[in-house]
Amino acid sequence: MLMKKILLAEDNPFDLELTLAGLAEYRLTNEVVVARDGIEALDYLKCRGRYADRVPGSPMVVLLDLKMPKVDGLEVLRQIRHDPELHFIPIVILTSSREEQDLVESYNLGVNAYVVKPVAFDKFVDVVKQIGLFWVLTNEVPANVRIV
Amino acid sequence: LRLRPVAAYVLDESRRAMDDQQKTKAELLTDITALRTRVAELEQARRNGSAGVFVPYEIKTDDGLNASLLFEHHPMAMWIYDVETLAFLAVNDAAIQQYDYSREEFLSMTIRDIRPAEELPRLLDRLESLPVGPRNVSHDWKHRTKSGALIYVDVISYAVKFGGRLAKLILANDVTERQRAEQEILRLNRELERRVDDRTAQLEAANKELEAFSYSVSHDLRAPLRHIDGFSRLLAQREAARLDETSGRYLSIISDAARRMGQLIDDLLAFSRMGRAEMRALPVDLEHLVADVHHELAPACEGRSIDWVIGMLPIVRGDAAMLRIVLTNLLSNAIKYTAPRPAAHISITASADDDAWQIAIADNGVGFDMQYAHKLFGVFQRLHRDEEFEGTGIGLATVRRIIDRHGGRVWAQGEIGAGATFFFTLAPYAQE
Repeated sequence: MLMKKILLAEDNPFDLELTLAGLAEYRLTNEVVVARDGIEALDYLKCRGRYADRVPGSPMVVLLDLKMPKVDGLEVLRQIRHDPELHFIPIVILTSSREEQDLVESYNLGVNAYVVKPVAFDKFVDVVKQIGLFWVLTNEVPANVRIV
Repeated sequence: LRLRPVAAYVLDESRRAMDDQQKTKAELLTDITALRTRVAELEQARRNGSAGVFVPYEIKTDDGLNASLLFEHHPMAMWIYDVETLAFLAVNDAAIQQYDYSREEFLSMTIRDIRPAEELPRLLDRLESLPVGPRNVSHDWKHRTKSGALIYVDVISYAVKFGGRLAKLILANDVTERQRAEQEILRLNRELERRVDDRTAQLEAANKELEAFSYSVSHDLRAPLRHIDGFSRLLAQREAARLDETSGRYLSIISDAARRMGQLIDDLLAFSRMGRAEMRALPVDLEHLVADVHHELAPACEGRSIDWVIGMLPIVRGDAAMLRIVLTNLLSNAIKYTAPRPAAHISITASADDDAWQIAIADNGVGFDMQYAHKLFGVFQRLHRDEEFEGTGIGLATVRRIIDRHGGRVWAQGEIGAGATFFFTLAPYAQE
């Protein structure tokens, strides 16, 4: 079976661990590529830097934290949406911020979903599971799009 | 057509009127009518441009006491000066008082001498360009008194002949106080504008700071809480077999505390947003809104016996999203605090109160002690322990903030064990 990948861009190690724990509950861990900042996420998507030699193709979904060092989530989102090769990739913002300005800006840039990380762990796990389930297993992408 | 200057004519006429104390009222009225007609004629002539043939009124020195009475005792400073030499020919008492010079000093000076140097060019220019005519009015002259003090005067001038010389009769109205008051008003206005600008800038800065603060609270404070809860849960799962009951309880207290703080942060942010959010003033149908909120709160009413009475509710002017928060808070409070009642009653009614609608939400719940009524609407103020009724103590503070922003009032009445009623007022929606 083809391993469909999730790109998870998250700088906070604890949030990363909790998210992976959430995905693990649905046995989706082996499909997660982790980027620790916006640059790494873009390097992966554009097959450059340490991902220069990877098998080309796009992830099923990008889970994007907003507040990250170097290049933040909104900038990653902007670059993906302006790249004709990448612009169709489903992007879910997974953030602590419930600020209106972030929501508005994310939707202006064409995000597919905006999810606030719940403080309560069981809800957090639930949210991560739902995202994984929907975007990896339920959502359909055009046939000509190459998924890895 | 021989025309006399209007004012000189008036002067002349009033002199004659004073002259003849025996004149009857009827005669005087006739005189006044004639005078009015004459003034109208003169006005007409002036408008027609026939004033060019103006011949100045001659004040004869032998006009006698009566002409000089008006001049001498007029409360406004007056003088006559020679058009050629600019020398003062006569001054009245009011001028002597206003400028501090004695009559002798005045009569040895020219009209240049009562002006500050910077006004001289304007004066000379004015004298040259002054049209030939009976009367001129000009404003905002600066004169200097003997003591050197500057005064502002409005000047009325009449062309006259005096002692056979072409002269001007001047009335100098001291408007220094008015000028000062006007300038003071201008200064105060500028000061006020500057202060408003300052305050606005301060307010904007404070608002920005507040936004940055709540952004950071929203984003940065929640992350550690999520980690506390997440990892204590993971620990509890991982060590489930080895943890004794007490250790398990400790871990769940840690989790609960983190969640509770998360809730507090969320509520506090929502509260702060209510103060900053833009507010719309549109018609809001409270009946629909209450029905909506009531429906939304159905899960909280599960397993309860609640008798709802929802009266006729008005259409008010306000922000629907904010008013929804008000109703949600007040109705869920009513549901929460009637929990111990086997048969709960909650009513929502409206009545007209002066210019506003008064909405009352009454329940037969546990009530509260009126002694603490003032604390109800404060942030983080609670009248119940958490074990009795859960809550963060922000709901009613938010309610008050929203109603405040709508220009309404909110208050409560209650009695321990006998229920509580919350009131608020809102402006009616008036169709324009």
